[in-house]
Amino acid sequence: MIGARRPDTQPKLDGSAVFGTDLEAPGMLWAALVPAPIAHGHIRSVDLGPARSLEGVVAVGAADLPALLPGATGDPDRPLFPTETVFYRNQPLAAVAAPTRELARQAARTVRVEIDPLPVVSDLETVFPEWPGPAADSSPHVAAHVRAREGDVEAIFHRAETVVRETYRTSSVHQVALEPHACLAEVRDGQWRVRTSTQSPFGAREDTASLLGVPEESVVVDGTWVGGGFGGKGSALLEPYALVLAKASGRPVKLALSYREEFLLGRTTLPSVIRMETAVSGGRIVARRVRLLLDVGNSLPGRDFATGYSIGFLLGPYRTPAFEVEGYAVRTNKPPFGPHRAPFAPQCAFVVESHLDHVAREAGLDPIEFRAAHLWKDGDSTPLGQPVGAFGLASVFERARTIAARWRAEAGPDHGVGVAAGFWSTNSGAGGEVRLLLAPSGVTVVQGEREIGSGSVLGGVAAVAARCTGVPRERVTVTYEDTAHAPFDSGVYGSRTTAALGRAVEEAARALFAEIAQRLGTSEPVSLRVADGEIVAVSGTRWRPVRELLTESERAAGGIVTTGRHYGKGGAIDERRVEVGAFYPYTDFTGAAHAVEVAVDRGTGTVRVVRYAAVHDIGTLIDPATALPQIEGGVAMGLGTALTEEALWSEDGRLLNAGLLDYRIPTLGSVPPIEATFVDGFAGAGPFGAKGLGEPPIIPVAAAVALAVRDATGAHVTELPLSSERVARALKLL
Amino acid sequence: MTAPPLALTVNGQRRSLADVPDSERLLDTIRWRLGLKGTKEGCRSGECGACTVLVDGISTLSCLTLAHEVDGTSLTTIEGVANDPVGRAVVNAFAEAGALQCGYCTPGFVLALVGLLKERGPATPSQELLEDLGGNLCRCTGYLSIARAVAKLSAEGP
Repeated sequence: MIGARRPDTQPKLDGSAVFGTDLEAPGMLWAALVPAPIAHGHIRSVDLGPARSLEGVVAVGAADLPALLPGATGDPDRPLFPTETVFYRNQPLAAVAAPTRELARQAARTVRVEIDPLPVVSDLETVFPEWPGPAADSSPHVAAHVRAREGDVEAIFHRAETVVRETYRTSSVHQVALEPHACLAEVRDGQWRVRTSTQSPFGAREDTASLLGVPEESVVVDGTWVGGGFGGKGSALLEPYALVLAKASGRPVKLALSYREEFLLGRTTLPSVIRMETAVSGGRIVARRVRLLLDVGNSLPGRDFATGYSIGFLLGPYRTPAFEVEGYAVRTNKPPFGPHRAPFAPQCAFVVESHLDHVAREAGLDPIEFRAAHLWKDGDSTPLGQPVGAFGLASVFERARTIAARWRAEAGPDHGVGVAAGFWSTNSGAGGEVRLLLAPSGVTVVQGEREIGSGSVLGGVAAVAARCTGVPRERVTVTYEDTAHAPFDSGVYGSRTTAALGRAVEEAARALFAEIAQRLGTSEPVSLRVADGEIVAVSGTRWRPVRELLTESERAAGGIVTTGRHYGKGGAIDERRVEVGAFYPYTDFTGAAHAVEVAVDRGTGTVRVVRYAAVHDIGTLIDPATALPQIEGGVAMGLGTALTEEALWSEDGRLLNAGLLDYRIPTLGSVPPIEATFVDGFAGAGPFGAKGLGEPPIIPVAAAVALAVRDATGAHVTELPLSSERVARALKLL
Repeated sequence: MTAPPLALTVNGQRRSLADVPDSERLLDTIRWRLGLKGTKEGCRSGECGACTVLVDGISTLSCLTLAHEVDGTSLTTIEGVANDPVGRAVVNAFAEAGALQCGYCTPGFVLALVGLLKERGPATPSQELLEDLGGNLCRCTGYLSIARAVAKLSAEGP
């Protein structure tokens, strides 16, 4: 299956790959941030004097910014350093730089901070112990409010044969990329230059410019190899602080988080409370009511995207003739909410699948048959009125269900089998551009993303370029340029890269063939092939080596250059169904269904995962060497969300388990064999009908595990993760 | 506070390092004094295994080791691991099995596995090797491709 080597193998096995943490420059200083010691309070003073009295230490606080950034206002809603109010624990109050990392940390500790405490709101259920009423919209704790409906839900519920109402709770999960955030900043010739480990150099540029209040073109972001992203490295975090210190000191400045700080300052998925109500008559869902309270930490009012996007995952992927959906993004004294691989979709799938399984049981129906009968089929529309397009969800579910049935027949005592569906939207609508260079010996794709490990840039984009041009893969190179030189791209996120950048490559290849046809003087189709060690252009009986087609300036530049861009259209929802706030359409629907067998320890509630099967609707398989590992890695990460991962916040806004011993990710031996299969034939919007695969594999995991635990024991667990303790409680062992 | 110079063999080359503070971690010596950045800094507290190196052939967490503890020893890092047959076999097995994604944990896994094979010999069953690699964390692969690399070694012998 995995024939070809991953293209990033060599530098990652000989130690030469330079990550953000590895950056170094002559004369550089090390930086440290000064963290707020409490989660909410009025700032009385931040005294940098003691830090500045240490030799070689440069310190920057809010008062220093006007001199460092003359005329710049920054983002008034997101000041680099707060001047009046602290909103979350460890919020940076100042930043220091020193010749050694130890001295920088020591200097940060000497900063004297005086803050008058304000009441801390850490748990969203203390804000809204009951469902928020009409007055909630004026609450300072509401960052966003959305509501949509179709049909007379109240009346349908009143008449229905069976009505099931349940409440679910999900946990706060961290990305836990092994490489903590790190960057190296320099200010010279009026340019703010930062090398950084990022999933989106252009996103980091835009964000950094906005936070500093400087023109975007004055910021240059140069990406490094990325030691894992998973959504955590999509926007600026450290870059502005390193840059202002570089400006203040006149030296290059390195800012790297410790792993503890990575937990404390990272933007993560925060807890939620979800209320599900379903009405059934005649074996069919007749109406659903979905209510979401999502903790968004210190996310800003009106800027919350999470709720309107995430809530759609609670409405699908099942046919529902009438519905009412309402959600609130709830501000608490935690760091802002951030994306975590398939943001919030695994949690939603856990809730939807567990709930509909429960509904079927309550209604006396077969739970799997009940879900299969309602799944969105190819050509259906979502409850919000968006057509799902070519969608293989029903096919993948059928296949996973067959595997589950086989395993169920073989399962011993205390073993159970679960099967769950999930869906995702390949975000191919976001923009991207490439330059394609055809040289006598090969093809180069010049673009602006670094490989984050998923393989989408060096594997996926390269495979698309080989397929579009006909040039063998070993002669295709994908190169990276910084934001001052690369064509724009919006980032490696949303499972979009192979699909969106791939479409840009396709367009550049079309332009290239048109150019070659003109030079060959033909209107017939042109192809490229390798003959005698070099690339030749062929059309009918005419052929010429590429070498001979180049103009003089192209020979100097290395080859023929064309460009391609892809700014796809997102889908549209039926806005008439929206009553409050903004709901977001998806782009390109992709389905997944997973089957899992678990064994549950009846004495402790501990769940062991025995075997796993993942079936995915991927449109067209583009790069097998990097596709299958995405499934394995995504499932493993999902098992963490399902079983062990839970960031615990105290009442005073403290993260209690900010370390890898207390926040448990899956370890070697805890991940079972995974049987991965692909269903093709439901073409996506990517090149050759490809759909994204970075995020879908994590989505159905927690749902499948929860259903398997229920199958094994009868325990109906309505909270994530399914820790030993929660399962033991459900089994009445505690 | 500084101690006498450190004398080390690093990937087969003799190195002398002056002015290394008593409190300096081997991880920082390797990365910032020797400039060998292939040894990765993860948690700095012995929880992730990313900083694993070989000290006289024994796999060692460089973040929990003081530089002066290894005075007079021979160090192997990812940059030099392919200099010997066991190291080369492990690197090739990782490459062939595609046992990496972001690559950040990879040097630690490679060195830990080389250490185990040197300690236990090539006939060590792969299940035993996998159990003893449990201290190395990977967030990308789900460990399955790493297990395939280990199985390859166990079947073929380094």
